[in-house]
Amino acid sequence: MLDARGLTKRYDDHVALHPLTLSVPRGEVFCLLGANGAGKTTTINLFLGFTPPSGGVAEVAGVDVQRAPLSARQHLAYIPETVMLYRTLSGMENLRYFTDLAGRPDVTDARLREILLDVGLPGEAADRRVGTYSKGMRQKVGIAIAVAKDAEALLLDEPTSGLDPQAANEFSRLIERLAGRGVAVLMATHDLFRAKESGTRVGIMKHGHLVQTLATADIGHADLERVYLDHMRD
Amino acid sequence: MLRTMIRKEWQELTRDGRVRVLAGSILLLLGGALAASAVGVRQARSERSAAEALTRTHWVTQEAKNPHSAAHYGIYAFKPAPVLSLIDNGVDPFAGQLTWLEAHKQNEFKARPAQDALPLARLGALGASTVLQLLVPLLIIVVAFAAFAGERESGTMRQLLALGVAPRTLAMGKALGVSTVLLAVLLPATVLGVLAVVQAEGAGAVAADAPRAVTLGIVYLLFFVVWIAVSLGVSARARTARSALVSLLGVWMVTGLLAPRVASDLSRRMVQAPSAYEFATAIANDFSKGIDGHNPADARAKALEARVLKQYGVDSLSQLPVNFAGIALHAGEAYGDSVYDRRFNELWSAYERQEQVRTGVAVVAPVLAVRALSMGMAGTDVAQYRRFTDAAEQYRRQFVYAMNEDMTQNAGEADFEYKASQALWTKVPPFSYAAPNLGWVLGQQRGALLVLLAWVVVSLGWAVTGVRRLSPL
Repeated sequence: MLDARGLTKRYDDHVALHPLTLSVPRGEVFCLLGANGAGKTTTINLFLGFTPPSGGVAEVAGVDVQRAPLSARQHLAYIPETVMLYRTLSGMENLRYFTDLAGRPDVTDARLREILLDVGLPGEAADRRVGTYSKGMRQKVGIAIAVAKDAEALLLDEPTSGLDPQAANEFSRLIERLAGRGVAVLMATHDLFRAKESGTRVGIMKHGHLVQTLATADIGHADLERVYLDHMRD
Repeated sequence: MLRTMIRKEWQELTRDGRVRVLAGSILLLLGGALAASAVGVRQARSERSAAEALTRTHWVTQEAKNPHSAAHYGIYAFKPAPVLSLIDNGVDPFAGQLTWLEAHKQNEFKARPAQDALPLARLGALGASTVLQLLVPLLIIVVAFAAFAGERESGTMRQLLALGVAPRTLAMGKALGVSTVLLAVLLPATVLGVLAVVQAEGAGAVAADAPRAVTLGIVYLLFFVVWIAVSLGVSARARTARSALVSLLGVWMVTGLLAPRVASDLSRRMVQAPSAYEFATAIANDFSKGIDGHNPADARAKALEARVLKQYGVDSLSQLPVNFAGIALHAGEAYGDSVYDRRFNELWSAYERQEQVRTGVAVVAPVLAVRALSMGMAGTDVAQYRRFTDAAEQYRRQFVYAMNEDMTQNAGEADFEYKASQALWTKVPPFSYAAPNLGWVLGQQRGALLVLLAWVVVSLGWAVTGVRRLSPL
């Protein structure tokens, strides 16, 4: 579903992403781990088509992002570190707006309310202005947008950063449920614990290189932390 | 999708207290200006009708008197207030509403509202055209400055573009959203304007001036399209909403406040028009060089007398079959007319060249083109003022000619002792003036129209290129 082949990004003399080859199939949660500047967000931006690659190809559902960005994005949902919504609109109004713009005006308001409840947003909050929402609530609306869009692939950029442990845990469960429905998830994160809990595979990035890929089923929390810190120390 | 975007823009903007206050204030100002103009126009029209009737009565009920004395008694000609002067009174407050038509002299216009008003009244004089030309663009800026820059800054643009929304669709949605808010202000104002015109002039006047009114509406719509396009173009390029706002306010101040002043000063500096004193002195000087129809001792009158005697083959004025005093008056008028034609042509030509300079400055300030077109459609620009003064002058010459001709044909040797009856006064039709049609006005304002259309094309191009390069980063 998400494929990178020799994907590279250079800014003048600086290489932000060395040739990356990666494939995230349906139902997999691939977590990109790494320090700031490791190339995680650059990878996400390349899949979104927000920045042109210096080399290689990024594909979403077989569509070359560089050649047909709008078409590629039809298959995607994106949740940043903080989901930004329109503060003067309610959660429900925001969800209606983003869902319509995602090309799904056919999803009824009743269904959208169901989705909001399903992602854990309290019923009374749906009609409240988003300006009053906590970060966790906004992240849930972000997930609701992805669900309403029925996206086949999900790009997450530090989505649990700043969330309290309970909210982060709820968020992880939602991601797992989406993956269970066949959604391919690529998540950039600093959170080793979440990566191990939610991820199917983790990739460790350093200075723009994907230095190691691990299957989370094959490794424990402590081992993952040790491997990660070993790479960071090099 | 567009409907969704318009609805969302509407919801967001109408929930913004700043937009509500500004839009409400503009609506209030526009409504107030139209209502005040309607009352003023209605009162002025009523006073003018009464004065026209009175001046006509005075003319036709004159006692028997010498026709040339009647020509000096004169007639007042009143400039009709066009219906659309409710929206733009143009040069009317400064140019005068009536003129006294009499023998020998092309008098200047009197009854200038700007002259009659108390000095402080100028401070509060905010017409509908000023609101449309200056304050509505300000509303557009407030509504549109954050359209893209704000979305980029808050991060919502990343999410919108990540959904697969095309930038051009986003731009169209933004433009239509801004237009909807604008419409919410302008639609009630338009209804109010039509009601004001109907109340002031009657429904017939609305129908008669419909082509001009529609064109005026289109001109303002094009002007607002320019501002929407410029605002969206700046917002698409600006890194932050604040920098977009500052840039747009700068553009507004330079083009709306500074450029008109510069254009006015520049036009006066580049094309010198005579002062009122210089103009009057030049005419008096010219007159001194020509025949004086009133002075039989005048050398030129003597020469005319010799030519007339020779023409009729007689030796003395008493042998003439016509009255020589009448002929001398005709000659005096003809000379005066030539002086006025030359001097006024020079003056109007200077004004027209000044207008051309101002239209040239409109290349950098579209409000100048809109101002010219607005006054043109409203019938209150310099070109139509000139057309009216020309019509009044033609009428003056015709009625003075009729008076002098009656004297020439009928006075015999009685000269200025000859008296005509009321029958002659009624032969002079009342002065009437028909405003030019839309084609004539557009022809006069073609320069301003071209500049405005160029602004529409360039600003839309500027917005489109900005949107094409729209980046969420």
